[in-house]
Amino acid sequence: MADKKNRYNIRDHAATYWENSPKWRRVSMSIAFIAFFYALPFLNNPLVNTPGSDFQSVLFYPVGMYVLMAIGLNIVVGKSGLLDLGYVAFFAIGAYTMAILGTHTALNFWEILPIGIALSMVAGVLLGTPTLRLRGDYLAIVTLGFGEIVRIVAVNIEAIGGPRGIAGIPTPPDLFKAKFTILDPKPYYWVLLTFTLLVIWMVRRMAARRPGRAWDAIRQDDDVAQLMGVNTLKYKVWAFVLGAAVAGAGGVLYASQILSIVPDQFNLNVSILILACVVFGGIGNLWGVILGAALLAFTPERIRFLSQPRILVFGIALVVMMNLRPDGILPKKKREHFDPNWKSVEESGEGEIK
Amino acid sequence: MDFALLHDAFWGLTFDGLALGAIYALISLGYTLVYGVLRLINFAHSEVFMIGTFSALVASGIMGVKVEDDPRTGWNMIFTLLICLVAAMLASGITAVLVEIVAYRRLRQRGATKLATLISAIGVSISLVELFRIITDSLPREFPRIMDKTFLFSYAGADIRNDKVIVIIAAGLMMFALERFISKSRYGKGIRAVSMDENTATLMGVNINKVITVTFLAGGLMAGAAAFFYILVYENTSFKVGFFLGISAFTAAVLGGIGNLKGALFGGFVLGILETYTSAVFGTAWKAVISFLILVLVLLIKPTGLFGESIQQARV
Amino acid sequence: MSEKLLELKNITMKFGGVTALSEVNLHVSKGEIAALIGPNGAGKTTVFNVVTGVYKPTSGEVNFVGQSVVGKKRYQVTKMGIARTFQNIRLFGESTALENVVTGADVHSKSGVVGAIFGTPRSRREEAAALERGMELLEFMGLKHRAGQLGKNLPYGDQRRLEIARALATNPQLLLLDEPAAGFNPAEKVALAATIRKIRDAGYTVLLIEHDMSLIMDISDRVAVLDFGQKIADDVPKVVQNDPRVIEAYLGAPADAS
Repeated sequence: MADKKNRYNIRDHAATYWENSPKWRRVSMSIAFIAFFYALPFLNNPLVNTPGSDFQSVLFYPVGMYVLMAIGLNIVVGKSGLLDLGYVAFFAIGAYTMAILGTHTALNFWEILPIGIALSMVAGVLLGTPTLRLRGDYLAIVTLGFGEIVRIVAVNIEAIGGPRGIAGIPTPPDLFKAKFTILDPKPYYWVLLTFTLLVIWMVRRMAARRPGRAWDAIRQDDDVAQLMGVNTLKYKVWAFVLGAAVAGAGGVLYASQILSIVPDQFNLNVSILILACVVFGGIGNLWGVILGAALLAFTPERIRFLSQPRILVFGIALVVMMNLRPDGILPKKKREHFDPNWKSVEESGEGEIK
Repeated sequence: MDFALLHDAFWGLTFDGLALGAIYALISLGYTLVYGVLRLINFAHSEVFMIGTFSALVASGIMGVKVEDDPRTGWNMIFTLLICLVAAMLASGITAVLVEIVAYRRLRQRGATKLATLISAIGVSISLVELFRIITDSLPREFPRIMDKTFLFSYAGADIRNDKVIVIIAAGLMMFALERFISKSRYGKGIRAVSMDENTATLMGVNINKVITVTFLAGGLMAGAAAFFYILVYENTSFKVGFFLGISAFTAAVLGGIGNLKGALFGGFVLGILETYTSAVFGTAWKAVISFLILVLVLLIKPTGLFGESIQQARV
Repeated sequence: MSEKLLELKNITMKFGGVTALSEVNLHVSKGEIAALIGPNGAGKTTVFNVVTGVYKPTSGEVNFVGQSVVGKKRYQVTKMGIARTFQNIRLFGESTALENVVTGADVHSKSGVVGAIFGTPRSRREEAAALERGMELLEFMGLKHRAGQLGKNLPYGDQRRLEIARALATNPQLLLLDEPAAGFNPAEKVALAATIRKIRDAGYTVLLIEHDMSLIMDISDRVAVLDFGQKIADDVPKVVQNDPRVIEAYLGAPADAS
């Protein structure tokens, strides 16, 4: 312990710097940070270019999409400790909503988006309410089954294209002079980044308030959480539904960019991969999860020259990584405060309670 | 939907279901054993099974069996079958032990979280699937017919085929042997002790590492046997074979009550039969959907599975 | 005495073939400090588990301010006004002391996920109130300086005190303390006795399980004794102390006399 404390820790220093910064500095740092990510697609250079597809495409899918989904899944797995192995199902529901409504009705992307999110959330409630009463391991197998079921149902219903899926999905209408076309992934990336920032903002708000405390309690000791008055089922379902909403939004956007979807895109591997992003990056830690997702999505694309064995390399990397750093690259770590006047509650002579 | 088929071929379907169920039951034993000891889903178990099927295939090749050959007869046939069975069991058993060492041991000793361990096992699973995908060039492989498949007799319109009879009987024997091993042998008692209470077992002098190795080995041997029976009946395999059977076998284990050996057997047979029936009625495409719905229903009505978990601790 | 806050009527609790509680009648009156004692395995913690909804009794009734507790979900029981601590400390170790307490204080908040996301005025108000309540309770238990530290990193005694603070945060009418003095030295026990009195004086009713006789005799208004799942005595400390059946029960299995 002692030597760990003395080691120079860039993360602690950064966190301290942030906490000690005045508001204007925090705001300007945030703006610079966000601006950098909006400008990222213009960073087209050989170092980040990936064989087979250009950097801008890779930035949208898989990198950006994985980051969004990993943040969503982190609400479920990282915050509340529920093991969901079928997360892809909600992504698929979003994508199919876009595909079906986009090809059969006159609704455009922006109108379908809330419908897709709502349907994913409904699916989350329907799956979550009965199964979240079960113990964790059972939840894993039920969600895993659910993920596969959604795909199998899609394969077997001819009305939604069966195994051939749906083609000819419309692109979103123009927005602020940005044209959404198959040739230019940049606008999609910007929409995706906006989603992601919104979700990050939401997650951070919740984490600091009552839902965050409820999830923390549930994750650490479900029984005690109940006895301390936490309606655990309600908060578990909420976590599940919020995760579903994020994946649903991702699915709608994905379908509108890729223009045609087939059921096999939504297989178990996607669920596993997103989960791997969460655990690889540092479960429960938002920034770790983002980093993990970006790395796990980008690396296989970057090493596409290995073509055949790249997934094999990925699998081995997971094992090695988990053996060396089981808590992920950026493990969740809570900083302790030793200041007695923390949160500056007014001093009041002798403690009295009402 | 075709209820007439279910009605007409009821006993034939039941028999086919039993054979499939025997294979599920053998695989699900591996899940349930490991779960009992480690409280973890061994995600790589499906690949332990997959490797078993390929080992049987390789063994048959070494024995000089070719796809275009006529089936063998007499002692020659029995000998070839046994070699293939042993090869599958050995390969799966060794793989299972290696999986434990690579994916679980270090993490366990560091007290890593359940999720980290799960991801590590998933990593092993992905690696093995990919390895075999590359080796086999993504193509399914045919298993040569070693044994002539004949109908032994007919009962109530059901044709009873010899290979399926062998599978059901041999699987029964395997499970009986495992049952004996768990209840009588020193290691078997160790497995039960650790399942009940790891800390107390350690204090009582049980060598946890050895017990865990033996647990994985036993589960692997069963999965290897299942692999051989699978390939004997269905005569093909591919790198994907583990995935589908693995999910069904795990469902079977949960259905019966995970951690409970009898539950795994029962769950395996029930699921095998139900899947066969529902395939007949709704078509094979909906098989998985129906198994899933059955699973969810069972869990809702009886969350500990049909037989209950063998190891339950009062909480709080 | 005054009105009955909690009343157990003919509670029987069986686990398989084992009878943990047999026809137990017990009550706690408003404003008192009641104690539940008995040798190890007498069923004391089982009483707590029945009262807080962890176990559903095999037969019998549990009434709290006239309402039945049986069949209620655990969080509903807490909301009704019963809070507890645990024999083996069960804090949220990865959360700070303040977060632990505020989790308890959240019980009476009405805003949830939606309020948190949109930062509704009610949510803000309730957050502020819960934080203030949490700090107040930490200060009351002498833990203010620990507010920002993780539950698992607190010293043992502070962990026990934090559990009490967390339970108090749910604003209970009845506080159940399961061996609050376990592992305490004599000086700490004296301080704890003062704290429990102070809690009572603040208007809470207390039911505690303890092994330390001098503490029990010092602070409780009434003592109930359990032995092998049956209530064998229930009276003021002086009387219970001299009850031959109680002495016999303890001679058979002497309590921890520390």
